[in-house]
Amino acid sequence: MTSNVRIAVLLALPAVCPGQVLYEDILKGPGANWLTYAGDYQARRNSSLKQITPENAGSLVSKWVYHMPKASGLRTNPIVYDGVMYVTNTNEVRALDARSGRLIWEYKETRSKKQAVNRGAAILGDRVYFLAADVHLVALDRRTGALLWEKKYGNVEDGIFASSAPLALKDRIIVGVSGGDTGMRGFVAALSASTGEELWRTYTIPAKGEPGSETWADIRGNTREYGGGATWLSGTYDPEMNTLFWATGNAWPDFYGGDRTGDNLFSCSLLALDAETGKRKWHFQFTPHDTHDWDAQAWPVLLELPIRGALRKVVVHANRNGFMYVLDRTTGEYLNATRIVEKLDWASGIDAKGRPILVPDKDPTPGGTRACPGVRGATNWMSPSYNSDTGLLYVVTLEQCDIYTSSAKEPEPKKNFAGGGANPKPSEIGQFFLRAFDPKTGDKKWEYPMTGPAESWAGTVSTAAGVVFFGDDDGQIVAVDGRTGKHLWHFQMGESLAASPISYAVDGKQYVAIASATAIFSFGLFEPMQQLEAPKITIK
Amino acid sequence: MVLESLTDNGVSMRYLAIISILALQGQAQHGKLDDKDKAKHPFIGDPVAIEAGHKQFANGCAACHGAEGKGGRGPNLLERLRSDELTDPILYQVIQKGVPGGGMPGANLSENEAWQLIAFLRAETSPAVEGRPGGDAKAGEESFWQTAKCGGCHAIQGRGGRIGPDLTNIGALRTRAQLRDAVLAPDLNPVQGYQSATVVLKNGQTLRGVARNRNNYSLQLQDGDGTLHLLQMDLVREITISKHSIMPNDYGQRLGKQGLQDVLAYLSRQSIRPVETAKK
Repeated sequence: MTSNVRIAVLLALPAVCPGQVLYEDILKGPGANWLTYAGDYQARRNSSLKQITPENAGSLVSKWVYHMPKASGLRTNPIVYDGVMYVTNTNEVRALDARSGRLIWEYKETRSKKQAVNRGAAILGDRVYFLAADVHLVALDRRTGALLWEKKYGNVEDGIFASSAPLALKDRIIVGVSGGDTGMRGFVAALSASTGEELWRTYTIPAKGEPGSETWADIRGNTREYGGGATWLSGTYDPEMNTLFWATGNAWPDFYGGDRTGDNLFSCSLLALDAETGKRKWHFQFTPHDTHDWDAQAWPVLLELPIRGALRKVVVHANRNGFMYVLDRTTGEYLNATRIVEKLDWASGIDAKGRPILVPDKDPTPGGTRACPGVRGATNWMSPSYNSDTGLLYVVTLEQCDIYTSSAKEPEPKKNFAGGGANPKPSEIGQFFLRAFDPKTGDKKWEYPMTGPAESWAGTVSTAAGVVFFGDDDGQIVAVDGRTGKHLWHFQMGESLAASPISYAVDGKQYVAIASATAIFSFGLFEPMQQLEAPKITIK
Repeated sequence: MVLESLTDNGVSMRYLAIISILALQGQAQHGKLDDKDKAKHPFIGDPVAIEAGHKQFANGCAACHGAEGKGGRGPNLLERLRSDELTDPILYQVIQKGVPGGGMPGANLSENEAWQLIAFLRAETSPAVEGRPGGDAKAGEESFWQTAKCGGCHAIQGRGGRIGPDLTNIGALRTRAQLRDAVLAPDLNPVQGYQSATVVLKNGQTLRGVARNRNNYSLQLQDGDGTLHLLQMDLVREITISKHSIMPNDYGQRLGKQGLQDVLAYLSRQSIRPVETAKK
């Protein structure tokens, strides 16, 4: 066959309309497909798949491993659609055959001016989206990996970069920025899913004269301009309210508040934003005037809970500062807060308005102040999950205290200056626990202690069959019974974990996948391998 | 200049060449050429200088390195000049002084002539979007989409076919010489993941497309409309893989000399980012 004939044959194949990932598909939540970072818009991270059960989870085995070239410390949360898995690393995306782990295509943004971790991709229509570290939204053809366009939505020179997974909804892609530890001004933006054009942008730190600016006594003149409030984790979305819920990072400088007296809005907060306009509907600040680097970057989980006799739309947020908050999703009203860790000494509780009741002398000092939780937080961006059948929220928590130091040196933005630091005493390294909370009451129903160096960033996924999978602090993926916390299965991946597991299915078979530091692992129930009758292969 | 093909003793010559480069690097680090490390010479990227350098190359270098720089008695410069070790100041020294004991004599050009030559060499080995202009990009665009119908298989920013490699950013990823080779001799420059494959399944169905990946146990086939067929081999009866690219190998004749230059000019402009941000 000549080349021309070969092309003619290929082009003459019957046109099949390829599947499109619809907004409505994402609304359905995770089943065979896993279509957002959290699997759904509510961050419940609860798969409807039931093939793997508490009874058979003990026969899980590794189905495949894909080693990401040059990877270290992968943060990627896989997206799966129609048997194809999309994973990211710094400035790159790869499409894998989700059944075999074989590479289908790869895309590298070789000219990004920045390197940074990447937390994953988004999918909508026939496109895969990801953020290049130098603040570009990149749109790729999901079938071929072909570059469709990329759009710069911020300047690296302003101290920002991109590391989060974008959030796709309707006609737009919601993005955020990183860099809050070295001085920058955070924002959330909506970009057109078709062209990347900016539809709106909402800054997290008010400009001079704007509402909230009165909470910054900007002593030396630049702590509001570079006040932080980074938006480095995806948010959640209520379709009925058409509202986004996006967490903001620490105020800058992280550990020295003397130059920025006041509450420092809207740092360490949860913002409810109109998805159409970006207008702020309400805000709730978990840690006013933070000096412990307790970004609010943990997942705002959207639930409907009976509160004081009435079912209410709430957002549940297990925060770095050690408390799990329940807020009214419509108004932002504070409903309650409960402790998620024992090691919590910076506040004696939360008052009726939701403000912490501070314990004196817990701010960082030049000589060091011991405070709990540690700088890694009581929890962090590791994903929680919620199973409506068990009624439990599964949260990875860390029991740790740190010695916090501060420096009154004049803040210099974009110079790696954080105004101090924090570390645990070598004799007082913390311990991770997977904990199951009843979000209605805040009661802890069970916990599963982990071993390890207290350096994990791995989260959870739960399933409708009542299994909870999580990455532990020792490089293992573990399955436990969601009702009791009883161990069901574990597998040692041999390296540290900084990502959360997902579940998906291909051809009716359920898998559980997670990124280790350098590879993607996928697990499924054991099946004896059938002897393969090799096909006839002719090369001519 | 790094030399390894002048003798059969490739290893020792490579060693010699590295020593030579290190010696020249030492000069660059301690001599007046240090300043040139900090700022690009104004001739780099200048079309007039590049054209003048082309003449220098044709007159003085082509005899050993080949008319297109692909090597002859001397090494392939298109490959060798991609080394990060060969900075402009070191290249200047190599051109002027040759490689001691390596068979390459010094050129002893005027300073301007030497920098013109470097400008030409950099244009030839830089991404096409930053390289030497030539051809009519507008005519090339028309040819790409209409006459030569390259867009039947290749896409640019989402427009076009899906059976061939995406060309949206190709001007930033390939040199002009690489683009030329890919157009003229696709069989000699295969792109990984685009082997033409015909697959007969055990249920009798036949699929045709490109094998994005395959091993003994699975095949990831993409057909003409971009649909992926992720096949386990237990479903497959027979696979026929073509050794030849699905891209026709007669584009040299079809396009003609000027037409080729025009298409290359169009492809060279395919860079998703502006040139000034493309430079490292």
